[in-house]
Amino acid sequence: MKLTGPLERVLRVFLADPSARRYGYDLMKAARLPSGTLYPMLARLHDQGLVTSEWEPSSGDAGGRPPRKYYQLTGEGIRVARLELAQAADAAPRAVPGTARPLPGSAP
Amino acid sequence: MTRPPQAQRVAEHLIARACRRLPGEAGNERYREWAAELPAILSDSDVSSGMRRSARALRYAAGISRCARRLGRPGGRPEPQASLPARPGFPVRRVVTGVAIYLSVVGLVAGLAAAWPGRPVLVPVLPAAACFAAFCLADLARARQVRYLPKWGWAIVCLIQIPLGGIMYLAAGKVPAARPEPPAQP
Repeated sequence: MKLTGPLERVLRVFLADPSARRYGYDLMKAARLPSGTLYPMLARLHDQGLVTSEWEPSSGDAGGRPPRKYYQLTGEGIRVARLELAQAADAAPRAVPGTARPLPGSAP
Repeated sequence: MTRPPQAQRVAEHLIARACRRLPGEAGNERYREWAAELPAILSDSDVSSGMRRSARALRYAAGISRCARRLGRPGGRPEPQASLPARPGFPVRRVVTGVAIYLSVVGLVAGLAAAWPGRPVLVPVLPAAACFAAFCLADLARARQVRYLPKWGWAIVCLIQIPLGGIMYLAAGKVPAARPEPPAQP
């Protein structure tokens, strides 16, 4: 897996709360990525078994809203993501101060 | 507020069109997933004005379109050069037809201008030419592959010589669509 800037941001967003389920627009906003970048990446992570997706049960809170698809890191995904981010931080020491802040806008 | 629903309809339409590139059930599922994000975008309280939310929804749909193009390719990203149809000979007949169409259009316009010297015949012709150029560029942008010139080359040709360049692109540069699967209607 080659850790590109956008991928790094997505992994950070996921790792901010590994148990949270995130939907597409949520991820786009948090990682500040356009849909044309985010979804191919999610598809790739999904193919690699690092991310799972599930449909929101249609009887949910809704309010007429169509059911969403949610994404979440798998156990393997969490492990790989932590490893990759740690390696990236080792490789580029100047990036260290930012690594603890997975909030939107913190990415370089 | 009539704007958000309209933006949603347009965005849904764009997404539906994008999903037709994906095979069968995958296209339907992707459509449901991507269209379900639109209400969240259009009611996003972090974006102040309705206009900007609409613009964001449209940008989202445009990104989806790029994404579907990428996902629609079997092996992932690389363009399937190997599956290019065997290069046919230069389409002489289509080019000749194109030149004939061009000459008759020019002849018609020149004839009209000569028949009514005082009339501004070019007034309806210019928007028509602009529309035609826009059509050719849109077609070019959506084409997966083109012949003889790179895409940017055809774009320049279409723009420099407005009616003829576009006609030449349609006649010679355009690769006839040969879809492996029938498009799925989401």
